[in-house]
Amino acid sequence: MDFFLFVEGPLLWIAFLVFIIGSIIRVSMFVFVSTKKDKIIYQHFSWKYLFSTIIRWLLPLNKDIPKNPIFTILAYIFHICLIVVPIWYAGHITLWEESRFEWSWTAMPDELADWMTLIFLGIAIFFLLRRIFSADIRLISTFSDYFLIIITALPFLTGYFLTNGTLDSITFFSDNIQLIHMLSGELMLILIPFTKLSHYILFFFSRGASGIEFGRRGYSI
Amino acid sequence: MSEEIKPNEIVDFLKPRVGARFKMWLGICAHCGLCANTCHYYTANEKDPKMIPSYKIRFLKEILKKKGNVDKDYLQKVYETVYYECNMCRRCTLYCPFGIDIALMISLLRALLFSQGMAPEGLVKAIENYKESGNQMAVSDEDWVETVKWCEEEMAEELVGLEIPIDKKGAKILYTVNAREPMFYPQDMMEVAKIFYVAGEDYTYCSKPGWDDTNLSMFCGDLKTSKMIVENTFKRAKELEVQQVAITE
Ligand code: SF4
Ligand code: SF4
Repeated sequence: MDFFLFVEGPLLWIAFLVFIIGSIIRVSMFVFVSTKKDKIIYQHFSWKYLFSTIIRWLLPLNKDIPKNPIFTILAYIFHICLIVVPIWYAGHITLWEESRFEWSWTAMPDELADWMTLIFLGIAIFFLLRRIFSADIRLISTFSDYFLIIITALPFLTGYFLTNGTLDSITFFSDNIQLIHMLSGELMLILIPFTKLSHYILFFFSRGASGIEFGRRGYSI
Repeated sequence: MSEEIKPNEIVDFLKPRVGARFKMWLGICAHCGLCANTCHYYTANEKDPKMIPSYKIRFLKEILKKKGNVDKDYLQKVYETVYYECNMCRRCTLYCPFGIDIALMISLLRALLFSQGMAPEGLVKAIENYKESGNQMAVSDEDWVETVKWCEEEMAEELVGLEIPIDKKGAKILYTVNAREPMFYPQDMMEVAKIFYVAGEDYTYCSKPGWDDTNLSMFCGDLKTSKMIVENTFKRAKELEVQQVAITE
């Protein structure tokens, strides 16, 4: 099989399956182990404290907004772009329509997708520079922290190149940019369950657990 | 204190105690640094990056990764961080997007050090005292009761009719103190007696262990002794059939 066809077909399947099954395993592991070793969560279980903490932090209603406004707001914008663009970009929806699922939903305007991609990349570069140049953040950064910013930014960068034909004057890129774009997206999906990127789902469990822990003393975080 | 560190002892200690939350937190901490300026050690030390809460728990990650293969010098470094750079106040947790409970992990590290015989001398002495006498200052039951009586006599000169009840069954409040009060600051107890008297509160002290409300063993993660201390107070509260337990501070 041609490498392109492999990346477009089976590898995409593999990436999605690793992402989905890996996430399910991470969550199940947490639930399974916590029922044995973190009984306190269940002894004091409370939907009230669980939901209030999750909502407060999903929406910008939390303490970090006044404390570190710039970084926090950038982080919100970063995450919104990261989720919205891949899902509502018209080109992606077309692929879903053509797939065996034949799923379809309303697309966002291409121009908006372009802008959000640029904003996303701008913030990613800021995060990277912050890690490199701030003595604080440099000390707590590990290799994977730098690496994962790049991994997360690559699908957006290559997606921008692909849709705008930025690098088309270079033959290698005009021939392969779509392949590189797909590979970078697949790499990110595969890495999510095994790295700190798993916070996309564990966020809910971590906040929930601490929400309950503080909630049992009557304080909602 | 054994000089030889046995990795399997460390692993055996941590294994049942490192729960799903700790593993998750060590895995998802984004190293974003949002917790940095929330820690008073950070702000009080001219924003020393080493005081960033997230940085302080690297030890737990490292010890787990090394499967307990660490030496005495390493544990000494851990000791300095967990005792002198964090007082487990939990403020950082309020600002961490994931609500990572740094203090809980610091507490586990303190407990680990305690299991290796490393803890501040004062705390070790206090724990011995708790185990022997039920209070951190090793005040005997007789001396305790005598002190309360003496306070009562002193105060009765000022406020005629003032009594300090001991073991009064059915009182509303069981009042407990810091064991340093009968040792060094009985005047505090007298002031309190005055307030209770004037307020007309129905309270009582208890004569048996349970009257000291400090729980210093908690600070080195000695949960067994911690539990014993709390249970003593509960036992007294039940025996005396009080409705509330009041603690000083
Ligand atoms: S705020 Fe939370 S996630 Fe960020 S570095 Fe601190 S502990 Fe880690
Ligand atoms: S719990 Fe420790 S690290 Fe966190 S803010 Fe308090 S002292 Fe600092």
